[in-house]
Amino acid sequence: MKGWNGHILRVDLTSKTFKKESFTEEFAQKWIGGRGFAVKFLYDELEPGIDPLGPDNKFIVALGPIAGIPAPNTGKAVVAGKSPMTGGYGDGNLGTRVAVQLRKAGYDALIVEGKADQPTMLHIEDDKVEFLPADAVWGKGTFETNDWIYAQYGKTVGVLNIGQAGENMVRYAVVRSLEGRAGGRTGMGAVMGSKLLKAIVVKGTKPIPQADPDAMKKAGQEDLKEVHRLDKESGWSIQSTTSVLAWCNEVAALPVRNFRKTSHPDAWKVDGERLNDARIATYGCPNCTMRCGITIHDDEGRESELDYENIGLLGPNLEIFDLPQVGSLNYLCDDYGIDTMSGGCVLSFYADAIDQGAVAGDYRFGDAEASKKLLGMIARREGEIGDMLAEGSLRAARKLGNGSEAYAMQVKGLEVAAYNCKFIPGMALAFGVSPIGAHHKESWIITFEVSQTSRDSYGPEKAQKVIELQRIRGGLFEYIVSCRFPWIELGWDLENYPKYFNLASGLDWTLDDFWTISDRIYALIKLFWLREYPQTDRKADYPPAVWFDPTNADTDGPIAGQVLEYDKYDGLLQHYYDIRGYDQRGIPTRATLEKLGLDQESQAADKIASLT
Amino acid sequence: MRITVKLIGPFIQALGFSEKKMNVPSGTTVDSLLGIMAAIRGRPKIVTRNGRAIAPGEEFQEGDRIVISPIHSGG
Repeated sequence: MKGWNGHILRVDLTSKTFKKESFTEEFAQKWIGGRGFAVKFLYDELEPGIDPLGPDNKFIVALGPIAGIPAPNTGKAVVAGKSPMTGGYGDGNLGTRVAVQLRKAGYDALIVEGKADQPTMLHIEDDKVEFLPADAVWGKGTFETNDWIYAQYGKTVGVLNIGQAGENMVRYAVVRSLEGRAGGRTGMGAVMGSKLLKAIVVKGTKPIPQADPDAMKKAGQEDLKEVHRLDKESGWSIQSTTSVLAWCNEVAALPVRNFRKTSHPDAWKVDGERLNDARIATYGCPNCTMRCGITIHDDEGRESELDYENIGLLGPNLEIFDLPQVGSLNYLCDDYGIDTMSGGCVLSFYADAIDQGAVAGDYRFGDAEASKKLLGMIARREGEIGDMLAEGSLRAARKLGNGSEAYAMQVKGLEVAAYNCKFIPGMALAFGVSPIGAHHKESWIITFEVSQTSRDSYGPEKAQKVIELQRIRGGLFEYIVSCRFPWIELGWDLENYPKYFNLASGLDWTLDDFWTISDRIYALIKLFWLREYPQTDRKADYPPAVWFDPTNADTDGPIAGQVLEYDKYDGLLQHYYDIRGYDQRGIPTRATLEKLGLDQESQAADKIASLT
Repeated sequence: MRITVKLIGPFIQALGFSEKKMNVPSGTTVDSLLGIMAAIRGRPKIVTRNGRAIAPGEEFQEGDRIVISPIHSGG
């Protein structure tokens, strides 16, 4: 087998044992890697109903056949497990040297099981695995932990670590890497914390298997230069992802005041122009020549790395329009290991709930200092409020009652990213049918929708586009494991990805060969959810109720008086199910599963939910 | 006729302004406005008028706010 190491490393924290396991070429070609490996392992190995924060859950790091090779933007890894946020399948990806080092150590995936008896750092170096005490940094933030690891092993090792939020099992705790990268907003940091796993450190010394290393090296060198050229030519990294903030503000898509409003006259104060003006440094992931991480000094002089999602949700969404203050909230999230998106949405939910009279409290929109204090309380689960908000907005709403669930901005328990879909039906659908809860990484349709279709339309063309993007973004990039930015932001040809896959594997696949794999992975994720929630129905794929509430409509601007409509959204959802081959409940039909090579899984699902 | 033109992202550096009011002849369209913006000619872009999509040949109205943006893809 070429292109894959053909091995996974399975580590048991309870018994402090490990073993190297092999997988077949047939398995590799059916699931490819990354998200494909992760969902297959979790579906096969987890009993339904286990506690995601208990020792029976597994923490997976999964790479793909082009992860870590010296070609554009391959320094990424997928982290996965049963999600503490949603109770369903959860994953995320992040830029990390682990992508390079774990592959060089001889593995395509790492599965961590059980629970340690003390705070532990897992140290992997080729075939050696050590279970080392991490008491020295337990209770510390991710920056100090990262420095502690670098001081021992140097800066070239791959590191994944968690902060206090992960330790205290805040349900939206993330995994952190490098100086400013985070992933696994479905609570993967909490899964690590539940296992008393503070950090994973990886170093490898072997060559990454490639069918044609000479051709790979040549192509990689040329393409790294080409991506850099495209970036400079377009000027993309002047503002990187944050240019979208000003645009969202113009087209009534910005989250303001817990998504109650869609634009704000002060939004310019925290937009990409101001961020670029305040820039002190730029960071990227391994093997990247279009670096997106812009850092500024926060209001306490610390370096804080910002992108659109965290500015949008910690800034305008909280009605905070002071960039250094937003930087400070972002810094705290990063240090505690709190997901910036869910963190912003949970705070905005709390302020809204107080506004609406669902709960008494002093916290108000626009109060940066109180927001900082609350983030600390959440990370430590301090007091009744900190503990409640650490559970995420859905659980907090269910505790508060008083109709507050309507404005808990989440789908399936995971908070929405920074796009206000009050009147953007296709993007609302993308959040609704994202297989891990509301996440922008799966299918970002908003520019297509606003510029190339009628915004008012709920037609099948939008469902078709959502699926097309899911196959590429949530599919291809998540299982070959590579950053989507060169393609999606610079227009670097999508055909480059099968090219690298073929150079690595020696196969001769075209893009069309990948779409069935994408659909298979999405279908298996659906079956994972079905096992956990046998009574599931299409309502699980609905976005937050407040987006349908006419009393929440904008009073002026481009979408004045307009909100989503239930009947029409349901029709759009049906288009999605029809194209996917799912039934009225949103469950893949027997024929769909068999077509995707999931015969065995189809039989198991039939016993749970009587497939059609 | 007076309109406001707002640029997004790297178009600011390409054209040397972020937002400005412009006097344009009656009958000016997206195509004719973009025609005088040589530095971003040929670049994929989205143009909106007052927050909504506008067809290339549609004429501007007095007071319109025109936003010209690269095609974002959403981080």
